[in-house]
Amino acid sequence: MALVRELSIGEQRTIVASGNQAAAEAIAQIGYDLQGFYPITPSSDVGEEIAAKIARGEADMIFVPATSELAAISVCTGAAAAGARCVDVTSSQGLLLKFEELPVLSGIRLPMVMNIAARAISAPLNIKCDHSDFLQTLGTGWLTLIARNVQEVYDMNLIALKWAERVNLPCFVVYDGFFTSHGTRRIEIFSDKATVQNWIGPQPERATLLDIKHPKTFGPYMNEDLINNRYQLRLAMREAQDVLPDMLEDFSELSGRRYQTVELYDMEDKPDVAMFLLASAADAAEDAIDKLRKEGQKVGLIAPRVIRPFPSEEIAAAFDGVKVAIIGERADQFGGPGGFMTNEIATVLQAKGIPTKLYTRVYGLGGIEFTHLEARDLFEQGLAAHRGEPVETNTYYGHWKGTLEQEPPHRFEPEPSESLFINRDMPEKINIKTLQALASDMPLRVCHPQSCPGCGIFTNLEIFFHGIDGPIVLLFNTGCGMVVTTGFPNTSFRIPYMHNLFHNGASTASGVVETYLRMRKKGIIDEEITIICVGGDGSGDIGLDQIIGAAIRNHPFIYLEYDNNVYANTGAQFCYTAPKGFATPTSPGGKNFHHKDMIELLRGTHAKYIATFAETHVEDALKKARKAQATVRAGNFAFLKCFSACPLNWQSPDDSGPAIVDAAVDSCFFPLVEIENGKTTLNYDPEKPGRKIPVVGIYERLGKMGSHLRGPEHEKELAELQAEVDRRWARLKAMHESPYL
Amino acid sequence: MTDPIESRLPYEDELGFCNISMVALGGDGANSLGKMLFDIAVMVMNLDGGYDAAYGSEKKGTPTSVSIKLCEVGRKVREVGPTKAPHILVVFREHLLESMVLNRGLQKKATVIVNTLKTPEEIRERLRLHSGKIICFDATDIATRTKSRINIPLFAVLAHTLGFPDDMMIAAIEKSWPRAKVQNLAAYQMAASETRFQNFPADGRYPLVPYDHHLTGAIGWDNQNEGSYIENTEYLNMRSTKPMRAGQIPIFKLEPCINCVKCFFTCPDPGSIVYRDGQMIGIDYDFCKGCLRCVTVCPETKKGHALVTVKESDYAALVTENPVRHTPEPVGAVRV
Repeated sequence: MALVRELSIGEQRTIVASGNQAAAEAIAQIGYDLQGFYPITPSSDVGEEIAAKIARGEADMIFVPATSELAAISVCTGAAAAGARCVDVTSSQGLLLKFEELPVLSGIRLPMVMNIAARAISAPLNIKCDHSDFLQTLGTGWLTLIARNVQEVYDMNLIALKWAERVNLPCFVVYDGFFTSHGTRRIEIFSDKATVQNWIGPQPERATLLDIKHPKTFGPYMNEDLINNRYQLRLAMREAQDVLPDMLEDFSELSGRRYQTVELYDMEDKPDVAMFLLASAADAAEDAIDKLRKEGQKVGLIAPRVIRPFPSEEIAAAFDGVKVAIIGERADQFGGPGGFMTNEIATVLQAKGIPTKLYTRVYGLGGIEFTHLEARDLFEQGLAAHRGEPVETNTYYGHWKGTLEQEPPHRFEPEPSESLFINRDMPEKINIKTLQALASDMPLRVCHPQSCPGCGIFTNLEIFFHGIDGPIVLLFNTGCGMVVTTGFPNTSFRIPYMHNLFHNGASTASGVVETYLRMRKKGIIDEEITIICVGGDGSGDIGLDQIIGAAIRNHPFIYLEYDNNVYANTGAQFCYTAPKGFATPTSPGGKNFHHKDMIELLRGTHAKYIATFAETHVEDALKKARKAQATVRAGNFAFLKCFSACPLNWQSPDDSGPAIVDAAVDSCFFPLVEIENGKTTLNYDPEKPGRKIPVVGIYERLGKMGSHLRGPEHEKELAELQAEVDRRWARLKAMHESPYL
Repeated sequence: MTDPIESRLPYEDELGFCNISMVALGGDGANSLGKMLFDIAVMVMNLDGGYDAAYGSEKKGTPTSVSIKLCEVGRKVREVGPTKAPHILVVFREHLLESMVLNRGLQKKATVIVNTLKTPEEIRERLRLHSGKIICFDATDIATRTKSRINIPLFAVLAHTLGFPDDMMIAAIEKSWPRAKVQNLAAYQMAASETRFQNFPADGRYPLVPYDHHLTGAIGWDNQNEGSYIENTEYLNMRSTKPMRAGQIPIFKLEPCINCVKCFFTCPDPGSIVYRDGQMIGIDYDFCKGCLRCVTVCPETKKGHALVTVKESDYAALVTENPVRHTPEPVGAVRV
């Protein structure tokens, strides 16, 4: 069915862009209504570029940095149901966290587009490319386009929305994390967004939630009828399959760039060995094929442009006549019979009676590169199989056995527990002698982190740990503190430590605590262990529910939050704790809502001990560490929060931490407070003569990140922030003075 | 490639690319330099190619590498990731000559640009260069004198090597850093006159070291603990963080010290400030990152400050001797 429309080649211009920037260019030109967003490496720049374009007036869109990836896509679900054109972007765990919403969008038949910068999934944590994230989505009812390079990221984004709206299904555009998301190339984009918008066309009519005149119910409860919803979805996939070739042809007329549902390279002569690859690896394989062909080897490439719907007919035609094929899988379907793609190809070939022998190779996991050199190795294996030599059918490529010839050196002997009770034998009042004794005698729990110079995380942790006696078991959420303390095979921890994902630490700690208590009760563990869970400010956004849950359950552990107001580990996007007006990559025009008050949120849990501390008030911090430990020893939950310096992202000098922390405290932006059994105490009064400074004092000390709020042109924003800080401080003072609050 | 494309670039490999590799520390500006150079190559010189970096979770001060591959329009740009076979190598920090294996994959007749006070002969020995031209100059000094950054003078020398015209480069610098225009231009201009270079023929002194794409290491699937847990007692991180320093260190003077513990509790690198028996005894220079927080909080006493900032190069012996070193030297099992 030919599309009846007048098309002429659209005028284009050359730009230099990374894959993420190319996605952002497409998103801005398409003119979506809304982008839902939550940063995750290596996809974050797509959102940052859009935020910057909105701030510069180059894009007219709503941009919603949500509290998690699941929240971000749910914002999209709502907007799509209400009739908006929506786009989202993610990677790895972000995609997995969104997972439960994926079949919601396809099941309700809401078209939207999601870019995936493909990345390995945890654990262990790895931020680099493989395909273990998006391949998990094969059964979610999403259309899936593959972009091999930066140019294709732009092009596929344009095709994706048009295709998605044609059949009312959501669509992924997948490209390789870092290799393509950050690789920067020369590409062509349409000079005029009208060319793009005309090609995609106006949004087709569909049922929406905001149609007051014709009220409709979306997402009903359904019994046996569900099977028919699913069959409709299957039919929609079939229709998507039918319309795609014409749409690609249509696009090639507009752009001059020709795309097929399955891209073939040197397959005309039915080569001895074909390789099947997804995304950037396919480009690299073409370099290898050029070389091997020159050497007289008959090799070729099959690379699908689309994997949902799976282009069965084209795949069958491509394999027909090929004797040996190497199926490259950048993810392992552990324990499966073949692999994500192998299974599908084998199904197609079996149905058609095509006898190609398939050799599965799991390659390039966790960011291992795939260039023409690696492609050549795999072709050599295929050629050996073709010669009849014994070659394994399904195995890994690029893993290594290990050559460790001698036992690793013994670095240290764990401290005997009795040497860890320094605070117990000291007076309650902390004086200089206490501090000197602690500095000399309390063994280090963490050492030699690869953190940035001047980072506040370990200053705060070390102060706090010096107030904690006895054995500690540490749990870290994902964040800078986690990334800089372990780099396999090394660890910075001298005590037991575990990392769990960004938002799950508090619940993980609950599990550890329950097990510890059970083992103590049974006499399996006889020592007292203090369990401390550490998270950054981001963990308090994405994992707020789990922290609050642990607090309400009153699980006896310490939750310690270090807050630098930005998601420092993903590129300094604003955290909900950042003040209104803070300029970050996701709030280039200034954050547009006031800072989250973690202490007041925790107050509602009626946790026994809630407190803030600052590195510049060491005695106070140590006292609070002791109280926190006493709280958990008594069987209760304790929440502690510190203001932590981040010179890198604040763009301030490495030695600026103490001054900025002081400014945060003295301006009442970060009051030193504790809530014991519901009773509020202010531990430090900045209103004593000579101390209090206006909030602008923080920004005067901050580097570039604070520069937008300095100076008279921002008086209005600053006055509003000052008023909010003053209001919160006045409330705290009133609570401090009340015997009940 | 039946239709030969005439290249304007000083080097060309079998796929038609001139490959540039830059090694630096996070925060040196290698990424912005690479991006800017690639931008000029495409938008002004009408070249094609790719700009890539060795991405990880880099923090400020950790070694990083940036790659630019350039070719004439018409070539197929297919490979992802940084170049494996550089023709031009730019070394932002001299110590990276030892901490990174920089001659691996380096092509014959390479051009090597190094920010150093040393001579090209000395650099050749340290790099174990097969053959080519080594250009040495003190980019750090130029940056200090002009209040610019080291990436600007290095950018100038790289642009000259590539044969890119100065006026294009200067226009790009003005556009990229409008507020530091004067300083950056001064640094750019100064670079050309301060270089020392020498050509080294392929005299057989050092072999070409090919890039090997097969990964291997001490710990693999056969001996990695199940689920990748780490034995802390064996694999405690001993990697020195010395390279993260930017040229300045704190030094400790005993006399003015009142053991106020302020330095100890502000130090972001646990173990770097060492207290014994209630007294400050010094700084472990294997792990001090030179952030100088300790100097900032050190109180003034009658005898002055106990901690003061000095240039690291003036105290090389102290740093090497490191009298309060409390841990053994890094040894053993790191991935090869």
